[in-house]
Amino acid sequence: MSVRVGSNLEKVLAAGQFAVTVEIGPPRGPDPAEVRKKAGFIRGIGDACNVTDNQTAVVRMSSIAAAKILLDEGIEPVMQMTCRDRNRIAMQSDLLGAWALGIRNCLCISGDHQKAGAGGKLKGHPGAKNVYDIDSIQLISVVKGLSENAVQEGGDTISQAAPFFIGAAWTPFGTPEKFRVMRLAKKIAAGANFIQTQAVYDVVHFAESMRKAREMGLTEKAAILAGVILPRSSGMLKYMKANVPGVDVPDAMIERMKSSKDPKAEGVKIAVELIQALKAIPGLRGVHLQAIEAEEALPEVAKAAGLFPRPSLG
Amino acid sequence: MIFADCKPIEEIVKNLKGSKNVLLIGCATCVAECAVGGEREVEILAPLLRMALEKEGGPVQITTKTLEKQCEAEFVEELVELMPGVDAVVSLACGIGVQAVADRFQKVAVFPGVNTSALTIREEPGLWATRCEACGDCVLGETFGICPISRCAKSLMNGPCGGTRNDGKCEVNPDVDCAWTLIVDRAEARGALKSLMEVRKTKNWSNSRHGGTKRVLREDLRV
Amino acid sequence: MNGQAQTTAFEPDIVVLYCGHCIREDRSIISALESVKGFSARCSMVSCSSQIEVSHVLKLLEQGVDGVEVIACSEGACKSLVGSARAEKRVRYAQTLLGNIHMNAERLGISRKKTGITVEDIVGLATERADAVRALGPNHMKNGGKK
Repeated sequence: MSVRVGSNLEKVLAAGQFAVTVEIGPPRGPDPAEVRKKAGFIRGIGDACNVTDNQTAVVRMSSIAAAKILLDEGIEPVMQMTCRDRNRIAMQSDLLGAWALGIRNCLCISGDHQKAGAGGKLKGHPGAKNVYDIDSIQLISVVKGLSENAVQEGGDTISQAAPFFIGAAWTPFGTPEKFRVMRLAKKIAAGANFIQTQAVYDVVHFAESMRKAREMGLTEKAAILAGVILPRSSGMLKYMKANVPGVDVPDAMIERMKSSKDPKAEGVKIAVELIQALKAIPGLRGVHLQAIEAEEALPEVAKAAGLFPRPSLG
Repeated sequence: MIFADCKPIEEIVKNLKGSKNVLLIGCATCVAECAVGGEREVEILAPLLRMALEKEGGPVQITTKTLEKQCEAEFVEELVELMPGVDAVVSLACGIGVQAVADRFQKVAVFPGVNTSALTIREEPGLWATRCEACGDCVLGETFGICPISRCAKSLMNGPCGGTRNDGKCEVNPDVDCAWTLIVDRAEARGALKSLMEVRKTKNWSNSRHGGTKRVLREDLRV
Repeated sequence: MNGQAQTTAFEPDIVVLYCGHCIREDRSIISALESVKGFSARCSMVSCSSQIEVSHVLKLLEQGVDGVEVIACSEGACKSLVGSARAEKRVRYAQTLLGNIHMNAERLGISRKKTGITVEDIVGLATERADAVRALGPNHMKNGGKK
């Protein structure tokens, strides 16, 4: 695929390299130093770094602001935009602002419902009015309109195009599974350039989903990156299997973590094995590496998986 | 029907503090169908209110009346003879009925006794579920008769989000089916899954409250 | 015990609502209840306990009655199949509503009985309800509802 936007992630993929993206969650407060601290952990590990948008409907520093801080730290961000909190007017306005600040990658997702923000120790804002003016697929078309045709959703033009490398999410094992590749196709048809999947622990199952995607010609049109979330304990894997929709964890893996004397080290080994197995899947163009509240563990994973250092393309 | 939930009685009692002569009115239409505001519920609430108010204060008179439809002027007129001496009205009708009464009897405080909250169907006795959001741009013909605007927590228009639970329920509420799973299943049963591949354009919300409060005049019905 | 409580000793006033299908014979329920000591009781028969509405029991309490006991057929014995089950649901709902206005739910109760109970059984159930209610003191709605 050719380079249209000029983002680092786009260039790495265009050069045929196996890409790596990472992710940080902005702080629940206004201190930019916290963003810089997380930036320090993941520096050099990925070709770009996702910055979540009020993930689980918990108020955090905005994705765009935190993304700009990352940019100033020399790290390429992938801003995220959910459909929960903004209508199409605010979204387009924020996208123009993000582009003005130098942000070039945008992941378009539905976003967790605000009920999710009230859980555990947090009160959140379950009483907030939700927006959901447009859905993630419509958002992709809106970003495409601004990127390629300098046109707003309502039809008015903007003064110049704001090219974005457009991302979307894929949960290949979500119910109803038969529709998930079709929904992926819709996202790509709407304009998605790259895809980041929900965490994969069952490579065989994922390879099957990738086969269907290949058969539909989707792997030619967009770069799919498999999600890899570093396991830290058997409890974490059990929790994800039971509570996170679309995450399929083989029982053998849970057992393996449980019986290990050093679960953290075992988790790194598992992540490395997953990455190596995923690399072998035809049509897979990279991985989206995450470590929940343990970003400092990612460099070890990247190095052990042979993904470090990242290519530096001009 | 228009659906409402009972207000917590503490809230109604608080509003009635100091009132001596209360008129409690029900409606025999929607709120009776969802068992919060019909005659039966009025006759349940009246003794409760009187006992609650007299616990703290002196004697209170509570008069009850259930109108056929509280949103129709001809029925609201029936309240005229009951109004003299009334210092507070509690209406168990939906917000429309409450306002019809408040508009007709502007000198008296009118308090709602229920929270109007949804447009529902009665799936089974005692079980109501939202079916419509009054979005003003009905797409039921494209979604196999299942409304994604009202039945999907995120009003998605192009298929399910990644949050559908493994058992097909919505991640937001485990008692609710993922609307898009229902749509996909029905499309497949009809051999029409391909139709869901079309990317649905953005919705025009302006024919609903989002376009401003509606005021619709039908000239063909006026003389 | 001698030197017992003065004339101000509280004698609860109980109403018994019973299903006619439960009772084997009806001959002298009224007079049996008139003869009880330490509380007063009246009764009312319904042909199925499902005829008892939530508003009925609440209105009895509104009128100042201290306690209400409902006697309904046991599971499976109701001649209207789910009538007594409905009655129980309604009594439980009424108890919740009483709790919401900070009145004691114990003023209300339901006993589910197989067909063939006797007058003595009814008196016994009324007595149990009276004993439960005695501890709560008089219903504030007596005498015009002053505190």
